Amino acid sequence: MLHLMKYNIIVKVKCMNVVFWPLVFPLILATFFYFALGAMEEADFETVPAAVVKEENADTVFLEFLDTMEEDESHLVEIREMTRKEALDALEQRKIEGVFFTGETISLTVAGNGIPESILQSLLESYENGKQTMELVARQNPQKLKEAADQMGAYEELIEQVSLGGQTTDGNIQFFYALIGMACLYGAFIGMDAAINIQANLSPLAARRCVTPTHKLKMILAEMLSCFLLHYFNVLILLAYLKYVLKLDFQGRLLEMLLITLAGSMIGVSMGMFVGSFGKMGEGIKVGILLGISMTGSFLAGLMSADMKYVVDRHAPLVNRFNPAAVITDAFYCINVYDDPARFGRSLVTLGVMCVGLTLASFLLIRRERYDSI
Amino acid sequence: MVEIKNLVKRYGNLVALDHLNLQVQEGEIFGLLGPNGSGKTTAINCMLALLAFDRGDIHIFGEEMSPDNYHVKKQIGIVLQNVAVFDELTVYENIDYFCGLYVKDKEQRKRLVEEAVAFVGLEDFQKKRPGKLSGGLLRRLNIACGIAHKPRLIIMDEPTVAVDPQSRNKILEGIQELNRQGSTIIYTSHYMEEVEQICTRIAILDHGRSIAVGTKEELKMMIKTGETITIEAVALTEEQIQMIQGLPHVFAVEYEEQILTVRCTKAKHNLIRILNYLQEQEILFGRVFSELPTLNDVFLEITGKQLRD
Repeated sequence: MLHLMKYNIIVKVKCMNVVFWPLVFPLILATFFYFALGAMEEADFETVPAAVVKEENADTVFLEFLDTMEEDESHLVEIREMTRKEALDALEQRKIEGVFFTGETISLTVAGNGIPESILQSLLESYENGKQTMELVARQNPQKLKEAADQMGAYEELIEQVSLGGQTTDGNIQFFYALIGMACLYGAFIGMDAAINIQANLSPLAARRCVTPTHKLKMILAEMLSCFLLHYFNVLILLAYLKYVLKLDFQGRLLEMLLITLAGSMIGVSMGMFVGSFGKMGEGIKVGILLGISMTGSFLAGLMSADMKYVVDRHAPLVNRFNPAAVITDAFYCINVYDDPARFGRSLVTLGVMCVGLTLASFLLIRRERYDSI
Repeated sequence: MVEIKNLVKRYGNLVALDHLNLQVQEGEIFGLLGPNGSGKTTAINCMLALLAFDRGDIHIFGEEMSPDNYHVKKQIGIVLQNVAVFDELTVYENIDYFCGLYVKDKEQRKRLVEEAVAFVGLEDFQKKRPGKLSGGLLRRLNIACGIAHKPRLIIMDEPTVAVDPQSRNKILEGIQELNRQGSTIIYTSHYMEEVEQICTRIAILDHGRSIAVGTKEELKMMIKTGETITIEAVALTEEQIQMIQGLPHVFAVEYEEQILTVRCTKAKHNLIRILNYLQEQEILFGRVFSELPTLNDVFLEITGKQLRD
């Protein structure tokens, strides 16, 4: 058994088809996602250039507020002090997105209506709301004024996007969950290769192996174990790469994540063995079928569009219940976003059932010992 | 050692093996000779319990052959028609892998693998992968993978296909050496020269049936042809051809493109009689060949077609 497993693993590790799709391709895709989504985030929150024009009796607190916002590490705005003429010229030439005029009252002039203008408008509104609140506190509860001012100053710490389960989430992380799902399914390529090399009617190598005195069940077991181990290791490398190299913020418990990926890897490998054993189609056709299944599954699970999973959930919920990539993605959501142990349990049971079903089906297909034609 | 009785294998309407009967004795190099599609590989695959068959019995070492008869499988070595090795493993690793499926003891296996490497002359290529080997060396690796565990019975299915003459001779010498070392060998081929060269007994297969079995001498005795004489002769008339046909021991004459082919039964002085006649008739002739019957003649006489048709 060890002899078989040793050589199985050596053969698979050196096989381009086996290494590229299940390991290298997801790593490349993860890196691509990381930079593409990072660039999108940066583009979404591009610093908004604006000007401030000091008029008579300028509100110095507002000027300090703008300074604070400019110095904030989010770099939301970049404020330059200008004269009225300079500011209006710059606005006309779209060098800036808006102009704050601060005198006894504060006004904002913008040249359009987009996200940058909305950000400037929000800034002004939040300042004025705060100012009104402070004035109210000063009038009704002056002894609490300092405390109120301190709390308002620290308002940024109070605002953070959180999930329903109370865990911090990054909106883009769902792409990576779907990617892990895809990587799990790509174990199919390892499984397919194993099936082709163990069925005498599919390759001369398999025929030679089948005429040796090694029990077929032992050979299948060694193949399955080495495929599962190897592919689980591939997925662990991907997880480690996401967590420690790309520094993605997985909030969930590690043990649960390892369980999900273990079941996912086994599903991928078993699916490959099943398709690999099915019929006498050429290897290219089988690769095409597996690519089709895994890519469609991953697409429906949200690999290419964040909304896809919800669209499928709304219009064809059963598809997501039986799509392993969607179940894997959902299980990740359960532990990382919703913090919903019951739903996580359901996902894990679904994965377990799929895994056992596919493993048994592929086993039944490849355990044949005599063939009608070779 | 191997007994096949009334073996029938059909692929749909096509009868691949038609009540095939064979018996292979211990110590033989038993040849299965036949044109492509005659059922040689199907017979081998049935023998190895890879193919399901419709009717018949196969016994090896006195035991019924079945996929789970591991005791019998342990004593068989197989060299398939297609090279069946792992591209990802080196020469040594490939032999070690297959030997390890038969031999558990590591020390014994190491010795056997080294012997197999030396036997096929791949000492200098042990660390090379199959992709780096020439066709001939690849075939030798294919053989080494099948014989490293020193099997009692070796089944070789056309092991010299697409091999250069030099490598082919080495392979054939190797097979004879394996036989001398005690292995019984079943050797399939459609090259009659190879079968004639190494096999002690031969079965000729056609359309899934064994049409003749025996030593090469016995097979040649089964047919009328004792000698085939070929002469380059100029402008023979129909009358002269008839006269040659009437010479003693001559039973068939062909004359095409100034080549006279005369088939004679086994007798002394056939060639001299024909040449005397040509001289008497003052017929100009050039090159002259006299050949003893070949397995192709056997096949031709029994089936009415050439072995390589």
